Amino acid sequence: MSAAILSLADVHKSFGPVEIIRGVSLTVGANERHAIIGPNGAGKSTLFHLISGQLRPSAGGIFLADEPIAGHSPQAVNRLGLARSFQITNIFPRLSVFENIRLAVMRSHGLQYCFWQWVDRNRRVREQSEALLESVRLGHRAGAVAGELSYSEQRSLEIAMTLASDPRIILLDEPMAGMSREETQYTTALIREVTQGRALLIVEHDMEVVFSLSERVSVLVYGRIIASGTPGEIRGNAQVREAYLGEEATA
Amino acid sequence: MKVRMVLLAAGVCVLAAAPLLLSDGLVNAAISMLIAALFACAYNLLCGQAGMLSFGHSAYFGVGAFATIHAMNAVDGAGLLPTPLMPLAGALGGLLFGFAAGWFSTQRTGAYFAMITLAIAELLHAIAPQLKGVFGGEAGISSMRMPAWGWDFGSTTEVYYLTLAWVLASLAGLYLLTRTPLGRLALGIRENSHRLRFLGYEVHRVSVLIFALSGMFSGIAGSLQVLSNESANYVMFDTSLSAAVVLNTYIGGVHAFLGPALGAALVTFFGYAVSDLTQSWLLYQGVLFVLVIMFMPTGLAGLLDLACGSARRYGARAVAPAAGLYVLAGGAYAAALVFLTELLQRLFSQDYRSLAQAAGAGHWPPVRMFGHDWTPLGTWTWVAPAALIVAGWLCWRAATAVVRRLQEAAPAMPAGAAGMASPGRTA
Amino acid sequence: MEQLATPLLNGVIYGLLLFMVSAGLTLIFGMMGILNFAHASFYMLGAYFAYALQDVFGFWPAIIVSPLLVGVVGILVERYILRRVHRFGHAHELLITFGLSFIIVELVKLFFGNYPVNYRVPASLDFAAFTMGSLDYPAYRLFMGIVAIGMFVAIYLLLSRTRVGIVVRSAIHRPKMAEALGHNVPRVFMGVFGVGAAMAGLAGAVAGAFYTTSPNMALELGVLVFVVVVIGGLGSLEGAMLASLLIGIVTSVAVGIDASLADFMALFGAGDLAREIGGILVLKVSSLAASLPFALMLLVLLVRPSGLMGDKE
Repeated sequence: MSAAILSLADVHKSFGPVEIIRGVSLTVGANERHAIIGPNGAGKSTLFHLISGQLRPSAGGIFLADEPIAGHSPQAVNRLGLARSFQITNIFPRLSVFENIRLAVMRSHGLQYCFWQWVDRNRRVREQSEALLESVRLGHRAGAVAGELSYSEQRSLEIAMTLASDPRIILLDEPMAGMSREETQYTTALIREVTQGRALLIVEHDMEVVFSLSERVSVLVYGRIIASGTPGEIRGNAQVREAYLGEEATA
Repeated sequence: MKVRMVLLAAGVCVLAAAPLLLSDGLVNAAISMLIAALFACAYNLLCGQAGMLSFGHSAYFGVGAFATIHAMNAVDGAGLLPTPLMPLAGALGGLLFGFAAGWFSTQRTGAYFAMITLAIAELLHAIAPQLKGVFGGEAGISSMRMPAWGWDFGSTTEVYYLTLAWVLASLAGLYLLTRTPLGRLALGIRENSHRLRFLGYEVHRVSVLIFALSGMFSGIAGSLQVLSNESANYVMFDTSLSAAVVLNTYIGGVHAFLGPALGAALVTFFGYAVSDLTQSWLLYQGVLFVLVIMFMPTGLAGLLDLACGSARRYGARAVAPAAGLYVLAGGAYAAALVFLTELLQRLFSQDYRSLAQAAGAGHWPPVRMFGHDWTPLGTWTWVAPAALIVAGWLCWRAATAVVRRLQEAAPAMPAGAAGMASPGRTA
Repeated sequence: MEQLATPLLNGVIYGLLLFMVSAGLTLIFGMMGILNFAHASFYMLGAYFAYALQDVFGFWPAIIVSPLLVGVVGILVERYILRRVHRFGHAHELLITFGLSFIIVELVKLFFGNYPVNYRVPASLDFAAFTMGSLDYPAYRLFMGIVAIGMFVAIYLLLSRTRVGIVVRSAIHRPKMAEALGHNVPRVFMGVFGVGAAMAGLAGAVAGAFYTTSPNMALELGVLVFVVVVIGGLGSLEGAMLASLLIGIVTSVAVGIDASLADFMALFGAGDLAREIGGILVLKVSSLAASLPFALMLLVLLVRPSGLMGDKE
């Protein structure tokens, strides 16, 4: 059993008088693929915001391989090896697809403040960018303006940007939303491939994806984890069925 | 690509030949145009590329200017640096102050950022006259260019070439900056600084660096101004200078690299040519700016781009009549605006009011304008601008009709679809 | 003590004046996300309209009609210019209001000349309200303060007690939701913009008679209003009030202090050292009074970037 790369210890988050996250404890192993499911409004995106540094928890601790990260800035959390994608596509709309990827790649090559070399001359950056684009099947669209891509192409770009920093754990927020059957299958296979040797925390509504991709599933309802286990255990859990899958759900 | 290089080379040659062809007065104007062009491009690094709208950029221009004047007066007037290297003092001043001001300003974005930059410039403007040692009080500080490297820098021509050399070098530097990782990051900050954080970038620090570099090049521009005028005054911190660079940059177009330079050069040139003829030059500038923002956000450079693109798609001969009609329409509207503005300006001026009072109630003395006398209640005085407006409107309608006919005849094809007919090509 | 009373009173009144102008600005920003650069020009227009109307209608009608006119200008600006530019984004809205402020100043110069005009306190209000020590305190200053307080109370009641106020407040916090509930949010925006402009116009109409009315007044006040809004927090009326009073009082009190920082340091025996260093330290605080608001702003940015009462964003 690999050591936990991410652990949440009794995390709470309130916005004024409204408590969205009411005591979430979770661990994700270093090579584990972990899915979070739950009805809309359960707080899944808020949880991602808390982990990735966009929000500070009202109480509780968040640890990235024993390093406390609660309340740290997003860039600090990213540098420690956590990368996330966004539910609402969060790219650089007026730049080219290639430029989008390159911006994501540049940071891990230490080029943040560099104004003394031409970025086009940096072979490693270019090769890594091209490879990433190929892996999400966007290589042929490298010159297109990112904002003009189709929705699912933008989602793929989003995933590629998340992978660029070679993170230890990836958070994917509904990556398949809006994709066709074929695209979903391709992307599921892609995710399975690129998360070899990494941890994955994924929020998804598509149950087929959840059950085929993840090793463990946690169910978030009204800011609490009501169940956590293997896909089979979750499928059979009566509480989950009632709260989320509904009476009609069949295994 | 080749066409651009040729055009660029031609432009540089023309600029280099200018002092041989123009009078001293015009060469001075050219120096002002060059300095304005550099300032606008330095500003665009922050504004058009990194998306941070600064409304107080005169601060960095001014700091560079004063750094230079002190460097010139140092060592008992001999100067801390040889004259051709003086702009380095301005660069350093602009860079350091840019770091300091940038650290504060870039804590916030958008409207807050704009207000902070304005306030920093105003702070300098308020404090400068008090610090007589540094800023020379009301009169400012003056100095003299020292001979160096075989030239005495006494003539306008030599100052022109010094300015040209520095402006070309700085523009080249700014352009090359756009090809570096930092330059690309600036675009990222403009497009989505939020995402950059999640990609691991320290966006605040990068912003400060960009701000400082913009300040550095602005400082060089200020320095060149001081070398040309041999004096520096705290009015350089005035908001009118900050406003001018914003107007110039947007009128020229923020998305093309040389757009701001184009806008600054044109506006400075017109200002030079026209400011003796009219008191309302700033009003015209403001109206042009607002029109550009409302109807042509890509500026004059964008307009040129559009024209060239249309010429390529439909053929120059087909597009020429439309272009000509648009130009005529624009000219007519502009003429009407100028006519009315000049008329109103004279009617409301102090001199005219005294004249009118002297002439008695009901009598309106004629107004002298464009070499003619116009009676305020006379028919021509109002028919002329009305006719211009109507003419402009007709030309505009005709031009739009021509363009529509062109578009219907050759339906717009998506870029890159030229090879649609060839087999074996994937989408 | 009495030496402090006059500057304090002046400062409070000046602060109230600042608030009249910055309230509109901060409301407009809070609701529409637009930083209206032209807001201080509305202030200037108020003064000039009042000046022009005063000869025709007399002082009192002039200061009532003038803000209404400015309000109309505000509505026209929002409806025909700002809305057009809205789809290009916030940057363009900022630039347009900037361009407009420029044009308005130039138009004023066109019609009224590039110098101060003779807009004076009317004889009916040109008396001393009371005497403090050896100085007469002008009644007009008190009048300005009363107008400002009256306006604040009116706006507060409007926003908190009337139906219109509830709609406006909901449009400030959740414009999409308000629209979904059937309210005509664009019209609300237009109205708020107009009212904000009118408030600035009223401030101008009233203050222009006392302070100089010149094409420069827009810029001088404009920058201070921005500083108020940064210190107070964009979108917060309470913050604007607090910051306005703070700046008003600090500036007014500082203008009366003839000592310098070096004199202060002399209390600790460091006077000579300070004088050696020179520069800012030997300047009289009174000469620095104009720069104090900016220094305050930078301090606030260091310590609390979202403003004293702004939302943490």
